[in-house]
Amino acid sequence: MSSLTLSGIKKRFGKVDVIRGVDLEVEDGEFVVFVGPSGCGKSTLLRMIAGLEDITSGELRIGERVMNEVQPARRGVAMVFQSYALYPHLTVRDNMGFGLKVRGVKPEERASRIAAAAAILKLDALLERFPRELSGGQRQRVAIGRAIVGEPDVFLFDEPLSNLDAELRVHMRSEIAALHQRLGNTMIYVTHDQIEAMTLADKIVVLRDGIVEQVGTPHELYRRPRNLFVAQFIGSPKMNVVPLADVELPPGLVAPANAVSIGMRPEHLAITNPGSGIVSGRVAIAEYTGASSLLHVELDSGAICLVVHQGDEPQAGKRIDLRIDTGNLHSFGADGTACGPPTGHPRS
Amino acid sequence: MDALTPRRLRLINQICWTLALCVAAIPFLFPFIWMVSSGLKSANEIFGSPSIVPRAWQWQNFVEVFSYQPFARQYFNSLYIALTVTAATLLVSSLAGYALARLRFAGSALIGLFLVSALMVPEEVTILPNFFMMRRVGFIDSHWPLILLPVFGPQGIMATFLMRQYFMAVPRELEEAGKMDGLSRFGVWWRIAVPLSRPALAAVAIITFLNSWNLFLEPLIFVSSLEKFTLPLALSNFTDPYGAPLWHLQLAATTLAVVPILIVYVIAQRQIVESFALSGVKG
Amino acid sequence: MGQPATMAARAQRNDAPWLTLKMREAMEAWLFLSPTLAGFLIFFVAPLVAVLGYSLTEWNLLSQQATFVGLANYDDALMRNADFWHVARNSAVFALGLVPLNMALALLLALALSGRFRGVVVFRTIFFAPVVTSAAAWAIVWKFQLQGEAGFINQVLAGIGITGPNWLREPNWAMAAVIVTRVIKMVGLNMILYIAALQAIPRDYDAAARLEGASGLQIFRMITWPLLGPTTLVIMVITTIGSFKVFDHIYLMTGGGPENGTLVLAFYIYQQGFEFFNVGYASALAMIMFVIVMALTVVQLALRRKDT
Ligand SMILES: Nc1ncnc2c1ncn2[C@@H]1O[C@H](COP(=O)(O)OP(=O)(O)OP(=O)(O)O)[C@@H](O)[C@H]1O
Ligand SMILES: [Mg+2]
Repeated sequence: MSSLTLSGIKKRFGKVDVIRGVDLEVEDGEFVVFVGPSGCGKSTLLRMIAGLEDITSGELRIGERVMNEVQPARRGVAMVFQSYALYPHLTVRDNMGFGLKVRGVKPEERASRIAAAAAILKLDALLERFPRELSGGQRQRVAIGRAIVGEPDVFLFDEPLSNLDAELRVHMRSEIAALHQRLGNTMIYVTHDQIEAMTLADKIVVLRDGIVEQVGTPHELYRRPRNLFVAQFIGSPKMNVVPLADVELPPGLVAPANAVSIGMRPEHLAITNPGSGIVSGRVAIAEYTGASSLLHVELDSGAICLVVHQGDEPQAGKRIDLRIDTGNLHSFGADGTACGPPTGHPRS
Repeated sequence: MDALTPRRLRLINQICWTLALCVAAIPFLFPFIWMVSSGLKSANEIFGSPSIVPRAWQWQNFVEVFSYQPFARQYFNSLYIALTVTAATLLVSSLAGYALARLRFAGSALIGLFLVSALMVPEEVTILPNFFMMRRVGFIDSHWPLILLPVFGPQGIMATFLMRQYFMAVPRELEEAGKMDGLSRFGVWWRIAVPLSRPALAAVAIITFLNSWNLFLEPLIFVSSLEKFTLPLALSNFTDPYGAPLWHLQLAATTLAVVPILIVYVIAQRQIVESFALSGVKG
Repeated sequence: MGQPATMAARAQRNDAPWLTLKMREAMEAWLFLSPTLAGFLIFFVAPLVAVLGYSLTEWNLLSQQATFVGLANYDDALMRNADFWHVARNSAVFALGLVPLNMALALLLALALSGRFRGVVVFRTIFFAPVVTSAAAWAIVWKFQLQGEAGFINQVLAGIGITGPNWLREPNWAMAAVIVTRVIKMVGLNMILYIAALQAIPRDYDAAARLEGASGLQIFRMITWPLLGPTTLVIMVITTIGSFKVFDHIYLMTGGGPENGTLVLAFYIYQQGFEFFNVGYASALAMIMFVIVMALTVVQLALRRKDT
């Protein structure tokens, strides 16, 4: 009932094509995250779903209805803005009740819905305050509360956590996840932070330059990125990509015919005995981060390869060899598309 | 002992400046003092020795002002016209200013340009056709021209641009939140944009009110009967049968017209001065 | 999720479903603009067209109706009628006297009053007070003070042994008096614009220049004045155009006299149109005024564009 279907959605601002044809299915109750670099059109896509931007071409359905030309408030969606957009001249209570009032919900019902939302979000003590008297996290909660009380079919979030400090961001992230568990609504969430995307999403949509690069579960995107862009965008630190020629594939293993480069995630690489690794190089820098160290290894070809290393970090300047489980290898063609892992693993 | 420490030098410097400013202030301040004092003198004393304190305080000047011509009525005219013009200007200019600031439609830039072009054109240029038009519709010797022309004239357009400037600074997401909450466009304007633009509205109100209150050319041209006069016109109308000014009455009446405005000005001077600064920077 | 039924029902309603979002926004915009645009067309565009039309006709008390005469009125004004050039000269003298005096005084006052010291607000309030006073009241009070022998100014002058002229009855003195009293009335406005501009100049510049040993005058010449450039330009154009509009002040102080010595363009238009009922001729004058003001506005826009 509150599924979404986007087919061939395009958006053009003046002469610039910002969204260049997006097809997407969102199922009822799904948590979908749009992720991509700055300026790729995430907000624009979300705002088209909300009705804040008109759709240049294509079709948007929410549930069964075509919503292209339906006014925002009539779409059954609610939005949480990056700046929270709380009405500065209204108290928290009135901010949350504003939409209900506009829609003609009776005062008693209004009060009970506000109370219910306030309870969920632990806002009870703050209801009489004005937005300027709240901390960032509290404002964030009020913004979410304002969305909840309208009982929308679909929640839209545009980078709701980007104005919070790191610690609060992690905390609010889990609260939003809990909220989704509890309400079970369809939620669409925009972020450029891939960790947020990975932790929250049922389904991630990676966008670049107004085009969907890949849609899938976090696992799928991590394990089987469809192209170099997704491979390097998902995962932190980002995937090492080295020319096929610089890699010493284990005996018996063959890269696909059209592969030109090999991708290896830093966390999959490990130091091994000299001569037995897939690549070798010199430790340029070793950064100690607590749980692990991040090694910058300068390969013989001159490329830098990152390695997440557990245990004692090796001396800078030391020569090391790196190994990887062959299942974790990725390979990419000349145009950047993934062409499957090297195959022909030698059977013993 | 060194007499000229930097500190003393600064002090002397400051005293000199203050003295200079005091002298400079005389022609700005004195006319008001002289106006009040002369308005309290008798017709004879007014041309006597230039003493600031009247020899005999003629309070009855202020009574006579009201019997010489319908001054109370004229006072009321100025007040209600200025209030009407202010209210209408606030409404009309903030609606138009909002559309120019926020709404996307073909021709928006062109309309802005057209309106700007009218901003600078003096009333004198269009006053003749406006006069004939008003005569056609029977608005001569009525207050309609004094209300309509300022609301839609350069002053109104200036107000429109002032509002537009301010509306552009209202966070867009706030208005979008209002839309998501179910407000119509009119609702967004009225319940979000307008409440958040109080400083601009106040500036427009202050300038518009004063402008209407001080309007001279339009009343001179459009109004002929004494009961319809506004203050600026009435003030110069205290004359003897030969047309020579009855100064004691003229100055008493002028005092009555000016002093309330000055009192409000002194109380709210910061706000009023800022309003003018805001509109001037734009213009 | 609470009541999906009501939510769905609510979502079904969409008033005027044939409207696209874009059309809706455009419609709303025109609706919001409609009072302003209607007023603009009725009270500005139509009259402007009309005044152009009138200016091509002979229409006065004698003729009682408009007859087309082509550019005769312009020819009359610019070529034949000596009055026009006299008026133009008066307007020019008025502007050339008023604008520099106003701006210089405004800048001087602003420099003195842009800082923070005790009494600064009082002074600002005093210098600005005439701006909020009606031109009528201001003109009446000054006319009173500037009378021949009995006027306050001349009595003071007499006190120190000077016989003042009959200010408003001698053409040159009348012009000077009208200019000076107008400057006193309006200088406060430019003063606060300059103060705002001065206060917007970062203090670091000043401090840095002082560290390098620049004198106050040097700082003004090398730093303050150039930074005030845009403000000066705006003030100059506003004040110049404003000086063309002045009507009430002159009407009440001198009535254009003596010997038409203070008859300026705005007044001349009024006189020809509403006192002598030379509608055609007055309209030609109005068009000339329109062209002058437009030219000034365009110059300002061009200069400002170059500036940024
Ligand atoms: N109103 C507009 N007019 C013209 N161009 C626009 C407008 N809004 C957005 N754009 C352009 O569309 C592109 C996508 O913008 P959008 O805001 O959707 O990016 P985003 O993915 O949300 O980026 P970010 O992570 O920085 O928020 C950008 O290049 C932007 O400059
Ligand atoms: Mg964005």
